Amino acid sequence: MLNNDPDSAHYPIDASRRDLVEEFRRAPKGPHSRELQMVLHRLRWESPGGRYVLVTVEPGKRWVLGRLPGVRGAPVELMRNKTYESLAAAEWDVFKLRWEALTGQAIED
Amino acid sequence: MRLGGIDTTSILGYAAPLAVEPGGQVAFHLSSDSLQKVDVTVVRVRCGDPDPAGPGLKLVPMASPVNGPRAVSHQPIRTGSCAVIADRPALRDLASFTVGCFLWPTLPGTAAQTILSRWRDDRQAGWRLGLDASGHLELAVGDGTGAVASARSARPVLAREWLFVCGSYDAATGQLAVHQISLDPQAGRDRSSHGLAKGGAGLAWPQDVPLVIAARCTGEALDAPRTAAHFDGKIDRPRLCRATLEPGAMRAQCERINPAPGDPDLLAAWDFSIDIPGLTVQDRSAHRLHGRLVQVPARGVTGANWDGTANDWRALPAHYGAIHFCADDMADCGWSADFTLDVPTDWPAGYYAVRLAATPADGDPVESYVGFFVRSPRARPAAKLAIVVPIATYLAYANGALRMDQVHAESMLEGLMVLSRDDLYLQAHREVGLSTYDTHADGSGWRVSGSRRPILNMRPRCNTFNYGNDTHLIDWLEEKGIDYDVVTDEDLHREGLAALRPYRCVMTLSHPEYYSREMWDALDSYQRAGGRHMYLGGNGFYWRIAFHRDLANVIEVRRDVTGVRTWEGEAGEAHLAFTGEAGGLWRSNGRAPQRLVGVGFDAQVFDRSAGYRRLPASHDPRAAWMFEGIGADEMIGNFGARNGGAAGLEIDRADPSLGSPPGMLLVASADRIGYGGMPAPEEFRTFHRGLDGEQNARVRADLVYFPTAQGGGVFSTGSIAWVTALSHNRYDNNVSRLMENVVRRFLDPAPLP
Repeated sequence: MLNNDPDSAHYPIDASRRDLVEEFRRAPKGPHSRELQMVLHRLRWESPGGRYVLVTVEPGKRWVLGRLPGVRGAPVELMRNKTYESLAAAEWDVFKLRWEALTGQAIED
Repeated sequence: MRLGGIDTTSILGYAAPLAVEPGGQVAFHLSSDSLQKVDVTVVRVRCGDPDPAGPGLKLVPMASPVNGPRAVSHQPIRTGSCAVIADRPALRDLASFTVGCFLWPTLPGTAAQTILSRWRDDRQAGWRLGLDASGHLELAVGDGTGAVASARSARPVLAREWLFVCGSYDAATGQLAVHQISLDPQAGRDRSSHGLAKGGAGLAWPQDVPLVIAARCTGEALDAPRTAAHFDGKIDRPRLCRATLEPGAMRAQCERINPAPGDPDLLAAWDFSIDIPGLTVQDRSAHRLHGRLVQVPARGVTGANWDGTANDWRALPAHYGAIHFCADDMADCGWSADFTLDVPTDWPAGYYAVRLAATPADGDPVESYVGFFVRSPRARPAAKLAIVVPIATYLAYANGALRMDQVHAESMLEGLMVLSRDDLYLQAHREVGLSTYDTHADGSGWRVSGSRRPILNMRPRCNTFNYGNDTHLIDWLEEKGIDYDVVTDEDLHREGLAALRPYRCVMTLSHPEYYSREMWDALDSYQRAGGRHMYLGGNGFYWRIAFHRDLANVIEVRRDVTGVRTWEGEAGEAHLAFTGEAGGLWRSNGRAPQRLVGVGFDAQVFDRSAGYRRLPASHDPRAAWMFEGIGADEMIGNFGARNGGAAGLEIDRADPSLGSPPGMLLVASADRIGYGGMPAPEEFRTFHRGLDGEQNARVRADLVYFPTAQGGGVFSTGSIAWVTALSHNRYDNNVSRLMENVVRRFLDPAPLP
């Protein structure tokens, strides 16, 4: 038995650091500053239950947002109203969703 | 389901055997729960990866009598391992009895589970010892009229804690009793308790029902019984006695490794430590109630009496008298074959698949594949070059679902996980059986993987790792008009050096990670006898595995305390059940990959890939021929279909202390990997800052060459992403150029410099 702990990421996110939001928005694939790396790790290290994922509709062209159920055998929840034409657009959208969920502050486009 | 795009899962299947020579036969076993008819086309796979950043999907339809429309039906998958002991008079004639064993439950309290039974659900007849849905020990008896009596222990068992358990039935009085005794009854762990109940006296047991360990019969197909209520966990030294024994007396029967076979009360004493590699269970009692195992549960696991004296079951089998059963074990779907392909003698060897297509009115167009391989005829090798298909790697990764179950994937990838239709299917249909990277529902690692089940990631259009990447090389060989034969790594295991001897040069592909001793020895002997080996991947020759001695296309992996491991085995369970050999890393077994191929695994880098810079040795006359047509200052492979570089995903480095040969030339290195490059655990001894690829020069991919005995040689690229750079700029690039220089020289009979 050797499993990852979904609750082990605890770096505190400073909601006032909108410069980091802008840095991510400019270059979602990085490379990122050290501070943004830590923020991204905090955002990305979450339980499979409810985790955002992309589902490929057309390889390299179109993706739909989904959420993992966190339970074996249960289907992935597809959010069919959220589709993307680029991975960068998807990364940005999920960044905003997670940032708001963790800080309570929405990011306006 | 309508999602847009292509439906790759509404029909699935598997090929048996997985690899065949021209002139041989392959049977296709298919199932669909939504389609009634599909169009079948056999295709040869030139590139199975639809990613537009690479060569794109290239499948060559083959003329075959099996092509055309075919009716298909639904064939269920029934998971769960168990041992089945055929019915005997001694079992039917039983009156009073006691049944007991040591037990290590791993998933109690989730559903009813059976420990030992001679029972059929349809008639509610027989007896069964198990755990009820809330984790209480239970002995139930039924007379087939619908009346079922059961004794239930007062306290639920604890997961992953050993107990002695027993249940008895007194035919004279109808008394039922269960007892459970915790073996470590302190610090809150004691679950010792018992339960009594009154059942009917003088019950008669049903005819023709097998005794089953770790499950019970539904009542269907009793010759090869359908089973239900499978047990998760270990069962150690089960015993069946023909009398009502007190718990102390029954425990003494279970404690003994060799119960007195002449004991008139002893009806069965199964010893799971006999022939651990095999598929039968042996009874030491005079009744010889031997049985067969179903769905290959894990053997060679520690029993209740294991105390650390031995870590190898061969040294002290008596401490390894347990089997770890899982309700989701799946080694063979047992589906009927839909059709058989006679592979024509004139078909070229290669990667093949049958395409199964349909256009349902209420869903996306269906295009699903079943992969198989045609190896070159042993008696008629045609080319001087052979590629080695990594069956073991494909099996080890077959149906990996861990990124949906564990937390780390998104951090590792530095980006959102992108799931395919295959992933959606796997998330919802765990019954197809997972990969050796996954854990069972009870948290234990998947140790065994076989091919008699649909493998979603070993076919065209599958997720890109391994299979798809390997076909980039096939595409390149075809593009360059380089003739090649095909052998499989399982051939190396079963036939040894003979599988490679006909060839002047062999290529191992993007990820030959899983190697048995036999496979390694064949390759090593080949290299020492003038053979030329191009190792075109990363993380190769890493885990030590075994193929099953009797079952084709079935491997076993044991992960222990080092290596990049997504689970860690229990203490004392690092030795392979299939052979007794130590599992784990080859590096821990005295054979670091550096000794065989010059480089060995050092890091993962899934966020971006890099190029290699030429080193002074690349201008040495012994190596300069490789770089003909490539500028002295050119970066090699600073492009590619996987994250923009030829050095990426999993990468290897040279290290003389691990065996890189003194005669080796380190000709190029990708040593600016970035912070996404994380070293393998065996690459550092103490924790400190600066381990990642941005700061750590040991996180790198090395390109090496060395000559071997008798004019042979080895060329290694040390990166999984390497082959995905070959098609860049319409194959006009320096990775392709370098490869062409090497393969043409390696095919030249003149001794290598």
